[in-house]
Amino acid sequence: MTTPMLDVRGLKKVYSQGLIQKRETFRLEADFTIKKPQIVGVMGPNGSGKTTLFELITGSNRPTSGTVMCAGQDIHNVKYRSRDRLAIHYHQSYQVRHFSKTKPSFLLEKPISDYPMIHLFDEPQFNTQDGYIGFMLDFFKRLRAESRLVFLCVHPNEPFHVKIMREICDRYIFVQKGAVRHADTYDALLDDIDVKDYLGALARY
Amino acid sequence: MALFEATHLHKRFGDQVVLEDVTLSFEKGQLSGIMGPNGAGKSTCFNVLTGHYKPNSGTVTFEGRDITGLSPRLIAGMGIARSFQIMNLFDEFSVLENILVAVPQSIKRSFNPFHDICGNSEAIDKAESILARVGLKGKENLIASSLPYGERRALEIAVALASDPKLLFLDEPTQGLGADGTALLADLISELKRDYSIVIIEHNMDFLFSLADTISVIHWGQVITTGSPDELRENEWVKASSLGEVA
Repeated sequence: MTTPMLDVRGLKKVYSQGLIQKRETFRLEADFTIKKPQIVGVMGPNGSGKTTLFELITGSNRPTSGTVMCAGQDIHNVKYRSRDRLAIHYHQSYQVRHFSKTKPSFLLEKPISDYPMIHLFDEPQFNTQDGYIGFMLDFFKRLRAESRLVFLCVHPNEPFHVKIMREICDRYIFVQKGAVRHADTYDALLDDIDVKDYLGALARY
Repeated sequence: MALFEATHLHKRFGDQVVLEDVTLSFEKGQLSGIMGPNGAGKSTCFNVLTGHYKPNSGTVTFEGRDITGLSPRLIAGMGIARSFQIMNLFDEFSVLENILVAVPQSIKRSFNPFHDICGNSEAIDKAESILARVGLKGKENLIASSLPYGERRALEIAVALASDPKLLFLDEPTQGLGADGTALLADLISELKRDYSIVIIEHNMDFLFSLADTISVIHWGQVITTGSPDELRENEWVKASSLGEVA
């Protein structure tokens, strides 16, 4: 049996408020395995937990429980600065986030790779005017051909966003209110009534 | 062997990766372009190539010699000249004086503090031929700050040419130029292209597509594609964009 590219096991992240009486404000749960290099399309409303999921996979945010194995290595046991050798998060341009560091680095492992195995693109700027979009899509395909796993998070608000997701992705993840759902094809994804609601008029494309 | 090669460059600022596995090569006699959206890492890449930043790993070679981590001064001394996105001119001095301080014929004698570089006829001849080359003939005695923007840009290129570079790096030369200025600059560069090996970083795709022999597209600190302008235009999204219409 070969090692899966990504193995997310019983992953849970709970945010709560209040010191004495804790009140849960947000909960994200995920449990899935991706065996082969693929392009995974990620969609979901704002605040549904997409970026939190990406942060848990890249090890910049600590899970409440569960593990994330990237190419067989537990990313939360890797030295902070080297975690991007396993999984790298290309942030939305306005986001500046920092690692939550709880252990001294010398207690942590070295990464097994020199170049990121998992690439997570968080809402890349797609602009049809300048043509860069074509080079970006080719790059995602090249990464897949070079045995990397690609996550592409898009919040569709134009028909061409849907076209891209439909054409380029091998499977889909839909995140809503902290719950992660999976679909193997775009049509299967659309069978989900919540996805249809989310896409609204764009579901026709 | 290419004139200039960068292999597997990796550069980070703290937790942030700014260059990831960048491999580029620039051939002698060619005009190579580096293109990418804002914040893609173009200028960081240029700064690593010209020695202003040291890469965390990877190598840079020029004429087969490893120049990784050498100072900008040493790299310039080997025959690599560069212009900056923000202009670097001596504003209070004349056009001719700006060139004179850069020509080797005057630098050679400049250790003598009593030596007047403006009295060195060899250096002046050289400076005037460079000014003619960039279209600034007859403007030798104007003060640099009095020149219109496009001519200041040409003067900046002239300063870079004064050292007889084997490779010329230009960082966003169209920055701040209007359509007319950009067209004039394109004429100047296509003329210089015949005699110099040039690398241009540019945000303006039309400008680069009309001049370059090869283009590398940088995004997320990585080279996401490389090819001739014709090869890049094959892409269906490029065909559908404003760039496709120009082609």
